[in-house]
Amino acid sequence: MFTDLSDKFKAIFKRIKNKGKLNESDIKKCLYEIRIALLEADVNYKVVKEFVNELQTQMANEKISESLSPSQQIIKMVHQEITRALGAKKSEITMSPKPPTIIMMVGLQGTGKTTTAVKLANYLNNKGHRSMLVATDIHRPAAIEQLKIFAEKSKLPVFSMGTREKAVNIVKAAIKYISNKDFDILIVDTAGRLHIDEKLMEELEEINREILPQEKLLLIDAMAGQDAVNSARVFCEKLDVNGIILSKIDGDARGGAALSLRKVLDVPVKFVGTGEKVENIDIFYPERMASRILGMGDVLTLIEKVESAYDAKEISRMNEKIKTNDFDLNDFYLQIKKMENIGSVEQIIGMIPGASRLNLNKMQYDDRELKKIEAIIGSMTIEERSNPNIINGSRRKRIAKGSGSQTSSVNRLLNQFSQIKNMMKKRKFTKNFPFQ
Amino acid sequence: MKITNIFSNFRKGLLKSRENFKGKIESLIKKSKDKEMFLDQLEETLILSDIGISATAKIIDYFEKINFKEYSKNDFAYFKEQLKKMLIEILNHSSSKIAIEKSRLNIIMIVGVNGSGKTSAAGKMAYKYKNENNNLLLVPADTFRAAAIKQLNVFANRAGVEMMKSTERADPASVVYDGIHAARARNKNLLIIDTAGRLHNKINLMNELKKIKKVIQNEAGENYSLEILQTIDATMGQNGISQAKSFNETLGVNGIILTKMDGTAKGGIVIAIKKELNIPVKLISFGEQLNNLHHFENDKFVNALLD
Repeated sequence: MFTDLSDKFKAIFKRIKNKGKLNESDIKKCLYEIRIALLEADVNYKVVKEFVNELQTQMANEKISESLSPSQQIIKMVHQEITRALGAKKSEITMSPKPPTIIMMVGLQGTGKTTTAVKLANYLNNKGHRSMLVATDIHRPAAIEQLKIFAEKSKLPVFSMGTREKAVNIVKAAIKYISNKDFDILIVDTAGRLHIDEKLMEELEEINREILPQEKLLLIDAMAGQDAVNSARVFCEKLDVNGIILSKIDGDARGGAALSLRKVLDVPVKFVGTGEKVENIDIFYPERMASRILGMGDVLTLIEKVESAYDAKEISRMNEKIKTNDFDLNDFYLQIKKMENIGSVEQIIGMIPGASRLNLNKMQYDDRELKKIEAIIGSMTIEERSNPNIINGSRRKRIAKGSGSQTSSVNRLLNQFSQIKNMMKKRKFTKNFPFQ
Repeated sequence: MKITNIFSNFRKGLLKSRENFKGKIESLIKKSKDKEMFLDQLEETLILSDIGISATAKIIDYFEKINFKEYSKNDFAYFKEQLKKMLIEILNHSSSKIAIEKSRLNIIMIVGVNGSGKTSAAGKMAYKYKNENNNLLLVPADTFRAAAIKQLNVFANRAGVEMMKSTERADPASVVYDGIHAARARNKNLLIIDTAGRLHNKINLMNELKKIKKVIQNEAGENYSLEILQTIDATMGQNGISQAKSFNETLGVNGIILTKMDGTAKGGIVIAIKKELNIPVKLISFGEQLNNLHHFENDKFVNALLD
């Protein structure tokens, strides 16, 4: 994500690095490139102007032009400025002291409200909350079914009353419904609408007036252009929006809208949507995002994700197994499952510093390969997994059939696994797996 | 539907953006004290419309060469015409019409990123072409998004057209396979395929589209045409170019359907897409009514922006 902008900056700083020192024409060139890069990133025209002016003042500062390493200083300065514009601190959901906390999702059509509502419920439930979704999109055909089907996959309950009832009444009924039940959060999915559609905006204002939701979250598509500021402004003014969710950042959009919105509207970005799966939602960290914009990778997110997938006990258990050469296909299977929880191969690579420099991000990865391996191991018996040596020809045939693959694929997997085991034997792991 | 109605709908949809653009250009030309200020403001207006840096630079270059001293401050009309001409020239394309012929199987496949309005566009197209006396079949190949099939079915019922049966999680290529054979068996002359939204950088999902295209080429038989249309949301920024580029490289895109033109976003990105990739805009879509889909006309689009 945002790779192009990072690449642009890198190209600029590479040039400056080569020169060693900044003169006035360097500053000019640099600012010009930053300006173009930001505009191409869909940062709002006025925000770019302001941002570049701020940089110019700082770059003209003697400290920098006399410095021996201007490149490092400029990177740091631009990084700081972007971080500051994105908002200095991370910002999470405010819970009501008196449950239920009501969260309302709003936005233009197609920005990802329904999908994100389910992801958010799942995210909050993983933190120990008990969320119920409320279906109030009575306008778009099959929107309520979409919410129900997606929520059902994660076993999340949905409150709905069909398409005949007014949205505000549906929310009221939902509040009444959970009053004697064990839910502490209601997430209200609303219909997508244009900010200039006064009739539909009034529908949201009515909910806002009568229900007083604690959180009003505005969905913004990471691919949005210059108009994002205009539509967001109307939503913010009419509904007193207190958070933004930036969706679809797993695309290659540079996501300049994030910068513009924070700067123009002073509403924090709280979450980002990172894919189509229910777990693909992340807290928005401005400093990480700024690092990302500058091509410095997103190591913190990666470490955090790996940590949440592996607990300490398990890591030491795994290390013990590797040391004693007990690591079998059962363990391998578990590792693959965990990998999937961290994210797709592409997502993981996107977080590695320098991935774009090494062109790793341009390589093609097929997550289905992992699925194939998973299916093959899944078709083995527990005994076969712990002792692959017993897998003879007829067993191989059965496994291939069971996993819908070829016997040659089963052979390849078994060969690879025995190679891995040999490597493990030789290398005597001293450090923690999987961080060797 | 009468031509005049179509035009008034079209204008209504464009009203907001037009007001904005017109007001700005007019006021900046009238108020500009000197050339530099004029160019600055022109640049701002163009950038804010999402037409992109490259197209903006081309226009600014043109005005930079003009000696404003030779003109009076009231020459607004002249410059407006020049600007219009330039934009129309960028948008011009030899084949911006969708040719549907009664004597063959016309296949239209709609692709695009998530939330760009494919299913609505498919429904509106079905309505439009049914009213033009085509015998058509809708194919719901979005088997991924929850309830997408049901959504298309609602449109099919409203438009009064036939829709293929399909189930969630079914292989989209095999849904299309069935669709083509059903169309041949039932003597249809038009097949409209709605596909799942996908981000253009997801290789697996893009390959899935390639597979669908292959199925069409293998199964459609002798006498057929294939038109691949990509929906571009008018609120899209410069990423629209990246979207069009990826879909075009994967499939070969014949045209753009510009969607959501009833907001305040100007849809200027289609000018950038046309300039960079030479993909024409063929249809324009706005609003939630089935009849809000129209043939895209360069001069009307540009006129509506500037007049």
